[in-house]
Amino acid sequence: MPNVGNDLHPYLRHQMMPTVWCPGCGHGNIARAIATSLERLELDLGHVVVLGGIGCSGRTPFYFNTNAMHTTHGRVLAFATGLKLANPSLTVIVAMGDGDALAIGAGHFIHAARRNIDLTVVLYNNSIYGMTGGQQAPTTPRSFRSTTSPFGGIEPAFDAVDLALAAGATYVARTTTFDFAEMPEYISGGIRHPGFAMIEILSQCPTYFGRLNQLGDAPEMIEYQRNHTVMAGDESQIGRDDLLGNLPVGIFRQEIRPEYTHQYAELSQAQGGDYRA
Amino acid sequence: MHKAVQTPDRLGIRLTGRGGQGIILSGVIIAQAAMYDGRFVVHTQSYGPEARLGASKSEVMISRWEIAFPEVVLADILLCLSLDAYLKYGSQVASNSLSVIDDLIGITAPAPGQVILPLRRTARDLGNELSANIVGLGALVAITELVEVHHVQQAIKERVKPEFSEVNLKAFTRGLELGEQWHASA
Amino acid sequence: MRLVQGNEAVVLGALAAGCNFYAGYPITPATEIMEQMARMLPGRGGVFIQMEDELAALGAVIGATWGGMRAMTATSGPGFSLMQEHIGYAAMTQTPCVVVDSQRIGPSTGQPTMPAQGDVMQARWGSHGDRPAIVVTASSVKDVYDMTQQSFTWAFTYRLPVVLLLDAVLSHMRENIELPAVSPPSLPTSADSADSEDPYKPFGNHPFVPFSANTRTIVSGLAHDETGNTRGAVGPASEQILRDSLSHLDEDYQKITRHRNYRLEDAQWLIISYGITARAARAAVDILRESGVRAGLLELMTLWPFPELIVKSIARHVQGILLPELNLGQLVLPLRAAVGGLCPVAGLGRADGELFTPEAIAQAMISHSRKIERRVSHHA
Repeated sequence: MPNVGNDLHPYLRHQMMPTVWCPGCGHGNIARAIATSLERLELDLGHVVVLGGIGCSGRTPFYFNTNAMHTTHGRVLAFATGLKLANPSLTVIVAMGDGDALAIGAGHFIHAARRNIDLTVVLYNNSIYGMTGGQQAPTTPRSFRSTTSPFGGIEPAFDAVDLALAAGATYVARTTTFDFAEMPEYISGGIRHPGFAMIEILSQCPTYFGRLNQLGDAPEMIEYQRNHTVMAGDESQIGRDDLLGNLPVGIFRQEIRPEYTHQYAELSQAQGGDYRA
Repeated sequence: MHKAVQTPDRLGIRLTGRGGQGIILSGVIIAQAAMYDGRFVVHTQSYGPEARLGASKSEVMISRWEIAFPEVVLADILLCLSLDAYLKYGSQVASNSLSVIDDLIGITAPAPGQVILPLRRTARDLGNELSANIVGLGALVAITELVEVHHVQQAIKERVKPEFSEVNLKAFTRGLELGEQWHASA
Repeated sequence: MRLVQGNEAVVLGALAAGCNFYAGYPITPATEIMEQMARMLPGRGGVFIQMEDELAALGAVIGATWGGMRAMTATSGPGFSLMQEHIGYAAMTQTPCVVVDSQRIGPSTGQPTMPAQGDVMQARWGSHGDRPAIVVTASSVKDVYDMTQQSFTWAFTYRLPVVLLLDAVLSHMRENIELPAVSPPSLPTSADSADSEDPYKPFGNHPFVPFSANTRTIVSGLAHDETGNTRGAVGPASEQILRDSLSHLDEDYQKITRHRNYRLEDAQWLIISYGITARAARAAVDILRESGVRAGLLELMTLWPFPELIVKSIARHVQGILLPELNLGQLVLPLRAAVGGLCPVAGLGRADGELFTPEAIAQAMISHSRKIERRVSHHA
């Protein structure tokens, strides 16, 4: 993990370092942004649980000095839902990959969003399956190459923000690893938000996505992100066709709706139970 | 009256009809009443995929001793509320069995042990054909004395939603009367 | 005395065991368990949630267990197949939980309302890789209550998912039973956690300690050692944890094995049965005895670990064994392996959605015995 300042050391589980992430991978920057958010919010690490699914992003929980669960591919939100309901006082942070959240776990993703349960999903989107060696992801843009779309993909990419909005997530944001300041800002916003928060972060995978699509090394890929994203609200510049056009970034929704564990507490108490959210 | 009913050491009752006719509920009520009588009981049920109109079957074993095999093979007592149920189960009865069959099924020449009664019509007159199951229950109880009347009434109160308690108790009473009339005429 | 349905007995037994979390997905013939949990848990301060599928249901159960609750789910064949991924995860992470599978005819959608015993092997071997397993069953509504309660105890004692196998008939069957008055057991709390000075070992042969402010546990389905470390050459450490768990079950074999003998003392012909089929087998023993055949029944209430020793000790004293089951030959496989050459074993299977009648089992026992007697006289 690059540039870990002394102030972040207490948040990290040093015996698990170095990370599995390749040189130039954006995931370390995202993990750093999560640590920065924990530090800014002055959270007690004993009351934070970091969970992950399977894939490169799924390794995130290993690097935090908290209770942690590295779960199954796509289904981390089911575990997180059970955990949060069992102990609503926990701050639950969920790292998911694009394959995790939008392919194998899309069903879990939309239902967690629909329930508006107070979880913070950080969606590491590197547009490819990195851990298994560069296969096409549901976020791989049309015509881009992967080892399973060697002639260029013919499928349109999923837009995680659109999906989260449609499913009822109450805090929805997107940024990139280029936006070094926005990452912790959006993530801390999501953690503070009392409901289901989804922060998608476009991350670079120079090892596979970059190499297979001649996008260069990490600096060029980060540059590419900058040039292909625009702030949400500047509709004139927004192209809707994923990374090929101008992908909007920013905070898309931030609104208060009844949160699941609180609603459950109301229901329990109305039935004479003592469940507290 | 046949032997099995007079000395009910072990009795197999099969209630049949279509889904939605309350077949399972009537089985539960008999089982609960027999439990209050101090018997061992097992109630089993089976139904098709449709919640309504599929063939429905509910069985109660009543015994003085613990019951091993829980299902009824040949019924000692049969209640039949629909034609399809009659065609399927009408003949799967023990010798000396007693069958109470709704008259709308249209059996013109009842076999020995078959009692044809206006169960659905009586229920309709009471305002709800869906209580035919309870009318049938009343008739069965009056004809066979297989469980105590007041235990059935207690079970109805416990197993039926309070708002339907009265109508079902009335249906049960009408069923008892049908059974007693049959006794008087037989 | 109460008239209780099999599925209701699961709920009552679970609550008596202190179950305070249920996550599930509707499926025939297990759904009543979920419906009653939905009614009972909120008012008791417990948690009920309907998830989006069975994978999510068991995932939520595992998450809740690490969150400090006593959790369970219930399903039937198709849902049980989906749950295998997380049964493996619960095994790998030594997460105590209870899974009830009300068996129906399969494979695939099969006959949703009809009884089966076809998940006996899946319950033991369904997830990829090796794992310790406790699989129990029941043949009466009272058994369902007792075995559900017992499943929670074993789940926490041995730190694994315990599977309770029911079937469509038992789930929907009502019997009058006497329910014991129970006070729910105390739950494991973070106060039980190892003090932070020790090298903290959340896995291996150590008690289950849920997440707390004092712990920094990493739970992972990756191979790991006792500390939860997944890095480096953890293969041998991971295998050792698995071997220790399996040995723990071996050592406690007597404590875990539950069975019931019926007219076994002088039996020459043995019927071994389990679950709902044992009810017909018991009646079959009476039929056989009445016609002069000295039959007896060994009813198995725990299927895995397979009760090899008890089976062997009885097999020495009988001339033949019949195992009827509602599948086309599953538990008969470990039975044959356990009995070896001690006496001839015959299986009797059906998978059409109907129960065996006592008469059918008695008839099969007579055929089996005649075959054996012919063979014996031929050799003599």
